[in-house]
Formats: sequence, structure tokens, C-alpha cells
Amino acid sequence: MIVARDLAPAQLDSLLGRTSPVLKLVISIAWLLGLATTVSAGPPLIVALVVIAAGLTLGRIPGRDLARALAPLWLAAVGLATFNTLFGAANGDPGAMTFAQLGPFRVTQAALAAGIGLGLRVAAIGAVGAVFALTTDSTRLADSLVQQAHVPERFAFGALAAYGAVPRFSEDLATLRQARRIRGLRGDWHPRLLVSLLVLAIRHGDRMAIAMDARGFGSGPRTLYRQIRWGWLDLAVAVGAVVTLVLSLATR
Amino acid sequence: MAPPPGRIRVDGLGFTYRGGTRPAFHDVSLELAAGACLLVVGPSGSGKSTFALAIAGLVARDIPGELTGSLVVDGPVGVVFQDPASQLVMERVEDEIAFGLESLGWPRDAMRERIPQVLADAGLEGLERRRSQRLSGGQQQRLALAGALAPQPGILVLDEPTANLDPDGAAAFFARLRSLLSERRATIILVEHRVEEAWPLANLVLALGRDGAPIDVGPPDDVLARSGERMAAEGIWLPKDRVVPAQANASPIAAPPPDPGSPIVTVNGVSFGYERDVPVIHDLSLSIGRAERVALVGPNGGGKSTLGRLLVGLLRPDHGTVALDLAGHDPSRLKPAELARLGGYVFQDPESGFLANTVAEEVGLGLTPAEAVRVPGLMDRLGLPLDEFGSRSPYRLSGGEARRLSLAVALVRDPAVLVLDEPTFGQDRLGYDGLRQILRDRSDAGTTLVVATHDLRLVRDLDARVAEIRDGRVVHG
Repeated sequence: MIVARDLAPAQLDSLLGRTSPVLKLVISIAWLLGLATTVSAGPPLIVALVVIAAGLTLGRIPGRDLARALAPLWLAAVGLATFNTLFGAANGDPGAMTFAQLGPFRVTQAALAAGIGLGLRVAAIGAVGAVFALTTDSTRLADSLVQQAHVPERFAFGALAAYGAVPRFSEDLATLRQARRIRGLRGDWHPRLLVSLLVLAIRHGDRMAIAMDARGFGSGPRTLYRQIRWGWLDLAVAVGAVVTLVLSLATR
Repeated sequence: MAPPPGRIRVDGLGFTYRGGTRPAFHDVSLELAAGACLLVVGPSGSGKSTFALAIAGLVARDIPGELTGSLVVDGPVGVVFQDPASQLVMERVEDEIAFGLESLGWPRDAMRERIPQVLADAGLEGLERRRSQRLSGGQQQRLALAGALAPQPGILVLDEPTANLDPDGAAAFFARLRSLLSERRATIILVEHRVEEAWPLANLVLALGRDGAPIDVGPPDDVLARSGERMAAEGIWLPKDRVVPAQANASPIAAPPPDPGSPIVTVNGVSFGYERDVPVIHDLSLSIGRAERVALVGPNGGGKSTLGRLLVGLLRPDHGTVALDLAGHDPSRLKPAELARLGGYVFQDPESGFLANTVAEEVGLGLTPAEAVRVPGLMDRLGLPLDEFGSRSPYRLSGGEARRLSLAVALVRDPAVLVLDEPTFGQDRLGYDGLRQILRDRSDAGTTLVVATHDLRLVRDLDARVAEIRDGRVVHG
């Protein structure tokens, strides 16, 4: 899971950390759309390698943090690839080239290629998301949404508050499960927990909204303490992203 | 004619929540001079917070309902609420201060000048880029106060601002209020249960009764002399009720250690952390005798609540062992039904542990028929009679009522070991007396009590053995 986490100052001050969050968001979406146009293995492999290399160098993400963020997604990618290779529709096609016979499973080359392609795409998407999350400060994201993408303030600050509430959500859930256990109720999971969780989230949101109003939020035009401007760095990152996508798609 | 800046004039003010059958408070009239301090006191559910929010102009705008009477508040108002976590809007200290200034349209240069000043006044210099979440509770509340003061509001509304703080954090917060008042920087409306520190600050006291009608308004000494008895009868804390040791962290008097022959809880070399590499409890050992009363004291974030949860198996130690009851069960591996008989836990924030739609359902959840029989008597004793409260939503109770419901939920099972996290938090005097009596009765009947608390009066009234927990270790006791 990629959740709100503390980013080291080195990550925030890195080249990717200083790149416009909105630009990074646009690049991520463009890459995902680009990868969706192909089933071959080359493009996602190149995108994944480029984004990881960029994250480690330009983004100065500690290798351990990146590995921890990627591990569950990549595990899912391997699982997906294996499943699709073993049970791919092409395996039932008598005309297809057999790649291997594993006990009862006949694996065709077509199924293997499709499985690997799918797994790599999931891995690439995971890598893009992880590098985005590990180089993007949430406050800067909100500032950038307001100042560069002209998203309404209420929406941007609401999204920021929601992002900040993610850790609180899991704390609330842990406490509610403890409350069940100490009352002798079986099972870690019960649908009723969702109701309590929702009530707590709404109440927290209400209190936050009152606190924001108490400080004059929305009472008039806002000024900006942190200004975000487009810069040469953004242009360079954008050009690099386009080149990467075009080159990777050329390997189809 | 408008009053001079910072003045407040209230005439016959009242407020009824939408769907409410009676006003939260009503018929309040008073006048407050600029730079003065109004202390609002009242029992649980008397509408004191609602009154404060009305002065802040938040009632009827953010809180649906009907405001009656007249209210003249001259100048902008800053507000500080009880819970730091749900009033700090931004992620970092400096941005938090900036938030209010940005909302009010301050030019950037003025903000650049003002923010360092505000942080220095609050004693938070050097923490500009720190995440607010990483501050202590006391620092968070000072940050909230600094954020409210940054735009120089002239009027400050403080709704139980020290309720979540340990004695040191509260003392620092009050010191800050004293200096604000001595500089006459703001008119202050203060809702506060820590009477021993709040009364000396007040120029004017408003005492609200259980029905939301004012008992008295006036200078503190006059109000005490005229209405002290009536206030006490209504359950309002009076300054003389709260005798607190001169030094909050003075060495507590250690009660005799338990008879070593019969510990009911044994903690042996336990370490625990919520995140990897961030231990909250360090190699902690503690032994609690049967029917003993133990108070876990110490600063916010020291590990009291975590230790309490480890004792009754709501958390599992990373290292070391916890043994509960004479058979030495590991409580974190017990089946829930077995655990509920042995251990009880009262959460600090009652709402965070509620699981049902009505009060009756909440207290009855998971009970055996034998336990269910006790419900009506217990609820009467806690001042939550089922015929009045049974069908209400647990989330629609006042703070004090919600806390008593969470107590009922734990008490009804009559567990052998009962852990309570800040049980007296926000209780008025009647609620406190009732709680103390129930805990003493349970203790006499053989229940082992473990109380994590900042309330030194409770520690004394329970005559509890004190274990001071600091940085995840027992440093005393």
C-alpha cells in the first residue's frame, strides 16, 4: 500500500521533489494511458526501469524505502503473470506453439508472452505510483493543484485533509477491533465496523471543517504563502517523460 | 452603538440545536471588557462549549440550529478547540500558522514577518518545518493557539484547550494565557475543567446549570460567595475542590508494593512498537497484585495507553511476555470470550470504541444473560437510566455521558482486571464522585484497577500505587 508517509528532506529537495506535482501527475497518467495501448513486454519494462532509476537518482529515494513500497505491488504482478500464463486462453489453442508442459499444464508461447506483458504493466504502474508518492509532499501537491491546475481551493484542501486522515483511519480501525475483542466479540472483521469507522470519519471531518472556518477559510480571497511557479526543471522533466514514452513504445 | 474593539455584549442569548427539544443554553446576558477573561463553567451537558462557539460565530453557521437573543462581538475571533489532531489543518508547523493568514488575505511579506514572531511567542521557534503530528500534545496545543493568534484577533475563544494535556503541557499553556492577559493582547473566553488554574485568570465567571440556564454571572469571588453552594450541587468543580501537589511531577508517595505471592498481571521484559524501529515500550517489567489499584502516570506519549492495552491483550508484545490471571495466560492469545471475562478496557476517547446504534445496544453487546441482568442497575447508577438514554445514539451524548457509557460497557462484565485510560477526563464533579465511588466499590470487591491518568486527584482519591511511565519505561514505582 502506498500511504501518506514522512519524506526525508533529501527527497523533498531533490530534482523530482521540486518538480511540479501537477506535472508529475500528468506524466503518470500519460504513461499509464500509453502503456494501455500495448500488450508487449518492452514498453512497460523500459518505463519501469526509467522511473526506478529516476526515483533513486533524481528523486533520491532511499533504495530500502522504494523496495518496501514496491514489494507488495510487484508480488501481485508476479502472481498475475503466473496465473495468466498458466490459464491463458492461448493454452487451449492446439495451433499455438507449446513453450513448456508443466504436469497437467500446457503453456503456449502466446500465453507466456501475454502473462509477462500483463505482469510487467502492473509492475510499471506500481513503480510510477511509488515514485510519485515518495517524491511528492502532500502540501505541495495541494498548492500545485490550486496554483497550477486551478482546482478550487475547497476541493484541494479537502483532498489534502483526506490524505492526512489516512493514518488516522487505520488507527480508528485498530481501536474499533480492540473494542470488539475486549467485549468478547469474535472475528476481527464485522460489517458494523464500517459504520463506526464512517461515523468517526464524518465527525472528524466536521470538526476539521469547523476548525478551518474558525480561521477564516473561504471568508474571502486567499493569499499565498508558498508560491509554486513553472520552471526549467519542469520543462526538462516533461521532455524526458515524453522521450521515455515514445522510445519505449517504439520497441513494440 | 458598537462597543470598543475586543468587547463582547450578550443579551438574552440562547441556542437550540436543530432537532433538539430544549435549548443547549439560554437567557445568558453579560458584558465583557476588552482584554478581560471570561471563564465559563458548568456541569457536563450544560451548553458551555456551545456558548463559546456562539461567541466565535460558529454556531448557526457551521452547527445547525436556532440562535436567539442578541450578540455583539467586536472584532475578529480566534478559536482553540480541545483536540489538537482535529484542528491542525496543515501538515507542517509554519504552514499551519500561514493557513489562517492566507485565508484572511494577508500579503506575503506581512506573513513572512509575522510567522517567525508568532512561533517565537509560542516557544516553537526552530520547528518551522516539523510535522505537527510529531509534536508533543502540549506543543500541538500551543501551535493551535499560535495559529489562532497569528491574525491578531482581539478575541480568543478557548474550548477546554488543556483537556488532552499532561500537567506540564497544561502548565505551559496556562503560562502563555497569563502573559497574553497581562499584555491585554486579547479578550479571552475560556471553557475549562482545570479550575485551579483557570479561576485565577478570570475577571468574570459565567456558571451554567444542568438545564443550560445561567446560575450566576459576575466577578469570580462574588460568584463563589453568592452561588458556591448551588454550583457545587449542580456538579461544578470549584477552586477549593482541586488540590494538586505543588509540583505536578513531584515524586509520588509509593504505596506498598503488592504481595509478591499473588500477582494477577506480570509484565516481563516487554518491548512494543507500532512501527518497525520505533519502540514505544522498552524492556518494561511490572507486577500488579490481585485487587491492587495502580496508577500509570507520566507525560503524553510516554507509553501509558500502550502499556494499558498490552496488559489486557489488545496488543501483542514484540518481545517479552505478559501474563494475566493466576493461570498465567497470555492475554493477547486468549479467545475474545475468555479475555472479556478477565480483562476490561475503557478507551480514552469513548467514541472511538462505540459499536452500536443505540445506548441500550451498546451496553448490551456480547453480554451473557447473567451479565445482561446487571445493565439497568448499572446504568441508573451511572446516571444514564435506560428509559431516558436507552434509545439514543451513543454518538449524540455529551462528553461526560459518552464517557460514562464507555465505563458501563466495561463494568457490566465485571472483569478481574480493569484498565481505564483517562477515565475522569472532562467529568464534572458529580460524574467524578460517582466514578470514584464505583471504582472503590469494585476494588473492594476484588477487581484489580489500572488507571492511566494525568488526574493527580484521582490517584490520591483511589490511594493507588503510582508507576510513572516515561519514554516507554517505568521510571518510578
